[in-house]
Amino acid sequence: MSRNSIRLSVGAVLMGLALSSGGVLAEDVIKIGIPVGLSGANSVVAPSVVQAAELAAEEINAKGGIMGKKVVLEVADDGSGAAGAQKAFDSLIFQKNVNVLISMETSAARNAGLPIVTRGKTPFIYTSFYEGRSCNKYLYVNAWVPDQQVAPIVDYFNKNYKAKTYFLIGSDYAFGRGMLEFTKSYIEKTGGKVLGEEYLPMDGSDWTPIISKLKAAKPDALITSTAGGAPNVTLTKQLRAAGVNIPYGNLAVDEGTAKSMGPDAEGIFISGSYFTTIDSPKNKAFLAAMQKKFGANLKTPNDLSVPEYEGVYAYKLAVEKAGSVDADKVIAALSEVAFEGPRGVIKMNKQRHAPLTMYLGQVQKDGSVKTLSTFKDVDPGAQCPNLK
Amino acid sequence: MATLLDILTTAAILYSVAAGLLIVFGVMKIINFAHGGFLTVGGYSALLITKLGLNPWWSVPCAFAIGFVCGMLIERLVMKPLYSRPLDAILATWGLGIIIGQLITLGVGREVQFVQSPVSGTIDLLGGTYSGYRLLLVLVAVVIAIGIALLLNGTRLGLVTRAVIMNENLARGLGINSGLVRFITFSLGAGLASLAGALITPLSSVDPNMGVPWLINAFMLVMVSGVSLVSLAVACLVLGGAQVLVSSWGNPILGGLTIVVLAAVVLRLRPQGFSRG
Repeated sequence: MSRNSIRLSVGAVLMGLALSSGGVLAEDVIKIGIPVGLSGANSVVAPSVVQAAELAAEEINAKGGIMGKKVVLEVADDGSGAAGAQKAFDSLIFQKNVNVLISMETSAARNAGLPIVTRGKTPFIYTSFYEGRSCNKYLYVNAWVPDQQVAPIVDYFNKNYKAKTYFLIGSDYAFGRGMLEFTKSYIEKTGGKVLGEEYLPMDGSDWTPIISKLKAAKPDALITSTAGGAPNVTLTKQLRAAGVNIPYGNLAVDEGTAKSMGPDAEGIFISGSYFTTIDSPKNKAFLAAMQKKFGANLKTPNDLSVPEYEGVYAYKLAVEKAGSVDADKVIAALSEVAFEGPRGVIKMNKQRHAPLTMYLGQVQKDGSVKTLSTFKDVDPGAQCPNLK
Repeated sequence: MATLLDILTTAAILYSVAAGLLIVFGVMKIINFAHGGFLTVGGYSALLITKLGLNPWWSVPCAFAIGFVCGMLIERLVMKPLYSRPLDAILATWGLGIIIGQLITLGVGREVQFVQSPVSGTIDLLGGTYSGYRLLLVLVAVVIAIGIALLLNGTRLGLVTRAVIMNENLARGLGINSGLVRFITFSLGAGLASLAGALITPLSSVDPNMGVPWLINAFMLVMVSGVSLVSLAVACLVLGGAQVLVSSWGNPILGGLTIVVLAAVVLRLRPQGFSRG
């Protein structure tokens, strides 16, 4: 009931904005739609994603925009789920007439939005790591998939902790199940055994029975894959409160979320394509620019927000290469352009996905991530063999 | 062993959440659908304490006080004029729940936030380790139950409250100020809801809709327990226990439905539920 009323009021505000912004001609600007989970599970990370997009837009506009056109951002709340995403995509594509969608979302929201993207023939750069194999004519992905991310953690546990038995916990939706399915097959391929695999609904916050099962199974190591944000934090807090201290690999945590967990996050292993500690001039310049623009309000840049920043630039390069904002031409150009950002040079040339340099890290007491090892340009594997 | 503790702690949490709803239902014969809103208020009171950097224990008295004051204001401004129209009063509480959620959204934002736990770590118990905070919640539930029992059975206010619960018209005829009883009960119910909200937040997270799922379970528990605090305790143990068992042996997705489904079945087979009447 109250959730519906939020949607209603958000819808009303969006409509009001659409009417009031009618004064600017569509040809004068390039509109980037950002459907993102400002409420719900993703609300922990969404503000950092919006900040990254704002910095990219500001930098591009300061240098004359894209082909002389000013970049305008249109942010819409997708509620971190399918129903909210349908409304957000609908309003962005058909009412705001955005030129492109560039955003990090839950897999539930992405899957709900894709049919609308197809109907609206709008390019969509998805900037969130996810369970892989989501293929659509208008979709590009510049973040990691399990083929790139799971191996470092499992290999490390096998080697350094002699882990033979694993327990897997996830949120009950495409990302949670997809990641753990891949993880399970990888563990079994490397000679390990999975003692249990448990899921809680995305909105759930009471992990008690699952933690009891975990403690009864006595595994050597734990790997989790929840929805990014709130479920991650509640699970970790309850694990720590229950005294679980086995090696703990988290497939869905980013640096920003780890910080909001406080001391409970210490010791968690994470594998990702971006940590703030990456030692490159591009990353340092990016962090300095973020600090300057947002000051005390800065949300820690992370593996979900940096791809957003790079996605906006990738779109700029693709439009310039195509010489127009025409969807088909931009889609063709996106696989050919390479942008060097905080994560290094990213080119989405492998079946709509990008080879990425992956890092294995461990969360420290102060919430920062210490890099344990680096894996250069890991291939995403066969993600969309049927797409050209 | 761990399952037993899970059942006990889950029942304790449910009891803390439902107690306030039950006493309001007992005196006013209306279900206070703003209960979820008051839970949320309690969660944000705890968040306020965390933000101020105070000892997390302060969130307990602070949440109760804030909830109590909110209850006092709402009783005077909204509930009192509607006492002769019970159905409208129930609708009004539903609306209030929404208004509270929206006010919090406007003031603090929609994002999910986290509070500090007053107790961390585990306790060695019966050959295993168990979360200290969850065990503490069992103690808290017992204290709440004893507190309400003492209030109802050991004070003048309790005596007149029981009289109002049994027969409000007769009590009024005897010169009891039932308006005052309603005022205090509603405020107390709001205070208890807010207290429960502050207690559950260290286990999970705070967001403007955090009260909604709890409201539904608390509502079902009150429906099957009539107006007795003892039968509420039984209902929490039986239905909460069933939820833990279904989650452990079946899966947590079905576990989330257990209380609602079982409560409906219980009411179908035995309309008076867990109460003796």
